[in-house]
Amino acid sequence: MENKRWVISLIAVWTGAIALFLYIPIFSVITSSFGKSRYFRFPVKAWSDKWYDQTLGANLTTDLHLTSFYVAGCVALIAVVLGFFGALAFARYNWRGRQFYQRLIMLPIFFPQAVLGLALLLWFTFVGVLPSWEAAVFAHLVWIVPIVTLVISIQVYGFDAAQEEAAYDLGANRWQAFREVTLPALAPGLFSGALFAFLLSWGNFPLSTFTTGADSTVTEWLYTKMGSGYTPMIPTMGALSVFGAIVILFGGYMFLIVQRRRRLERNE
Amino acid sequence: MVNAAPILRMVNLTKQFGRLVAVNDVSLDIQEGEFFTIVGPSGSGKTTLLRMLGGLEKPTAGDIFLRDERVNQVPANRRPTCMVFQSLALFNHKTVGQNIEFSLKMRGESRRARRERGLALMNVVQLPEDYYDKSVTKCSGGERQRVALARALASDPDILFFDEPLSAIDYRLRKLLEVELKDLHRTTGKTFVYITHSLEEAMVMSDRIGIMQEGRLIQIGSPNEIYLQPRNKFVSEFMGEVNTLAVQAGADGGIDCPAFERRFTSPVKPDGFTDGYLVIRPESMRFLNDPSEAENHLEGSLFNEYALGSRVQYHVSAGGSMFVVEKLREQAYQGGLNDDVLIGWDAKDSVLVTD
Amino acid sequence: MVDRAETPAPLIRQPGVGSLLLGWLRSPGVLNATPVLIFFLIGFVGPLVIVLAFSFTPERTFDLGAGFTTENYEHIFTESYYISFIWSFALAGLTVACNLLIGYPIAYGLSKLFGRWAAPVMLVLVIPLFVSENVRLFGWYLFLIKGGGILAGGLKTAFGIDTGTLLYEPGTILMGMIYVYLPFTLFPIVLGLSMVPRDQVEASRDLGASRFQIFREVELPIAMPGILIGALLTFVLAVGAISEAKLLGGQNTPVIAQDIQHEFTYAQNWPLGSAISVLAIVVTGILVVLVMRRLDLDRLLGRR
Repeated sequence: MENKRWVISLIAVWTGAIALFLYIPIFSVITSSFGKSRYFRFPVKAWSDKWYDQTLGANLTTDLHLTSFYVAGCVALIAVVLGFFGALAFARYNWRGRQFYQRLIMLPIFFPQAVLGLALLLWFTFVGVLPSWEAAVFAHLVWIVPIVTLVISIQVYGFDAAQEEAAYDLGANRWQAFREVTLPALAPGLFSGALFAFLLSWGNFPLSTFTTGADSTVTEWLYTKMGSGYTPMIPTMGALSVFGAIVILFGGYMFLIVQRRRRLERNE
Repeated sequence: MVNAAPILRMVNLTKQFGRLVAVNDVSLDIQEGEFFTIVGPSGSGKTTLLRMLGGLEKPTAGDIFLRDERVNQVPANRRPTCMVFQSLALFNHKTVGQNIEFSLKMRGESRRARRERGLALMNVVQLPEDYYDKSVTKCSGGERQRVALARALASDPDILFFDEPLSAIDYRLRKLLEVELKDLHRTTGKTFVYITHSLEEAMVMSDRIGIMQEGRLIQIGSPNEIYLQPRNKFVSEFMGEVNTLAVQAGADGGIDCPAFERRFTSPVKPDGFTDGYLVIRPESMRFLNDPSEAENHLEGSLFNEYALGSRVQYHVSAGGSMFVVEKLREQAYQGGLNDDVLIGWDAKDSVLVTD
Repeated sequence: MVDRAETPAPLIRQPGVGSLLLGWLRSPGVLNATPVLIFFLIGFVGPLVIVLAFSFTPERTFDLGAGFTTENYEHIFTESYYISFIWSFALAGLTVACNLLIGYPIAYGLSKLFGRWAAPVMLVLVIPLFVSENVRLFGWYLFLIKGGGILAGGLKTAFGIDTGTLLYEPGTILMGMIYVYLPFTLFPIVLGLSMVPRDQVEASRDLGASRFQIFREVELPIAMPGILIGALLTFVLAVGAISEAKLLGGQNTPVIAQDIQHEFTYAQNWPLGSAISVLAIVVTGILVVLVMRRLDLDRLLGRR
């Protein structure tokens, strides 16, 4: 289709402007984290990384990040396992009730998260589970498992199920077929599912705030601190979490690319 | 054909999915080294039948014998048979070599033995050796067919099953691969069981053909038998364009055609024939200068003509229906459209079938 | 050759309801769906039932056995809680409208114009999503604060203009919500627009449609499932938004999620908090069900 040049340019400029808009606050956080003064003034007169030394040296930093990490790690692991089976039911098999199931499990995604967090808090109290980071894992899963199921489903839709049958037919047992064919074919989907789960859990606030109890994640701490006024530790902690997310995202992306390349080169 | 014990025997084989009967009471013997093709429209149960033979589906009733051994409950991975799937089901995350050697790897053969066999097979299916490390996703349609074929041959199976592997391929390549497949059948000497919805494809390759309709095997025979003696209207129309006339058994051995209020000379009648259809192939139909030139004739007018390369096809409108006449190009009809024409046939070139 | 058409059909059993049910339970689809469904029951249905039950108990009770009353719902309308509902739904509606306008051209570019640049651009747009919402909103706070904020400070240094703060206005909250939820509108629209086949657009042009007619008659209807998902997701998330109002609105603008949090923490009035939640769930739930019924997920996700 012919699109007029100026239309393309206009849309490109618009996209660029919006992308810039998306990054403004991130740059703001990073800029202020390197300011030297105790109160944030812009333009920054003196730069310093002393807040990083201070923040990184604090036990609190380690604790908060460890909690966030435990939660996100457990969520990613469990969500991928549940999402894997969920996606097979979603996209691989044709069964009576599938349409209903597809809509049912999407409901938690289309649900106000703060309300979900609160409902889970009530539920935990009712069944006698104390709020803790483990409870937060469960809470995150309620929202994240459906998302991971969708992410993996997209891969499953592209998977020709006859490949599995071909593997049996060529002498593989159930486990061999799974390990040699199903798992490698779905691996990219599982991996992006895990990545999604980890990052969404890492950044989640509305579910955590109701369910972590005495344990606190980085985002919860930020929320509390922001409510009570500025300290340079807030942007520093924020910037650290930005770097963390970028490292994980790019690390994951690179890993995926290297894996794909290796698989094609390797010949066993 | 030598009448030895069949390599594959189906006895009253039936498969139900819930309330749907996909395969209904099929009994069939397939001989060693035979190229047997099952033909049927989609939904006729042919794929289900093949999947039962391959062990991917368990029969609801009836038995499958492989060299006199009942294999109903033997799963696919322990049957000495191999399937080439409709989608080919190549492992997209593996290379050509890894795909071909899959069954050998499952058996635990050494990497060197696998490679040797893999390369030999690539030679058999005419794939260049440097494709060994190529990703299957980078292969063309025809190359993928060859990889699938080599992969199925790798475990040296007794029987190869084919589930319409050529259906998604363009006409010219399909014709080429049909010939190659038939040649491969000769050189390997293995039993091939092939399913397709195209009787034309089946005719080219097969020793024998079985026609399936609504879960039942309605006719089994050599390509010639199927062509010359279709069992019913369904089979005759499956061949492509034919002329069919609704008829009834008439007095003095002839047959009556109510639509044209004519009596035609009858070919050999099936036992107990009362009413059915008279089938005349387009190439058996001819233009007449005079009614006396053929045993039967109809008056019509030439509606249109179509050049088919070596042949020419004509549509002749007669009594409200359209008849198809086919001629070699050298014997083409000389005249114009809307000409009044006489078309006719002899009883020996027609077949009577029931519904 | 034996003519089998004459032999009566043998061996055909008509399976009963019981065996059909058993077969269904053993089918691989059901088996694979089971773990997720059980989890769904414990993690989603259970909590909802509890919230519903709590919303009918008397004020400030923490026990389900304390009796049955509907006065919590009456309180929502008599004690000005409904104002939060109006704010939340208005803000959410405006967010959806703005995001559709902002997002559609970008989605169009991503799915039709950018070609091999689409993937990197997409990546650039996704990354902020993975930085915690609170961090990003705090960034806006830093950008907008009075005097030393990046916007105010920057303008003053560069042009010598003095500006007040933009913080603590409903408009700022709206901007924050637009900012946070833009990707949730954008990506479903991309998904929807990528389902519009190029040849159909060309065919309609060939048939004499103007650019706007193509948009209205071809692109919009085909992309509608994606647009609906994007709008719905954004709306629901925005209704539950909590940080925007607090961080950028300075708690001057009441929203539902804040009310709920307040009832459950400071006020210690679980039944009222539950009633507010139930009302929010019912309103969003109706929207979700209406939209879901129109979607063909297989087509949207799998391009079948």
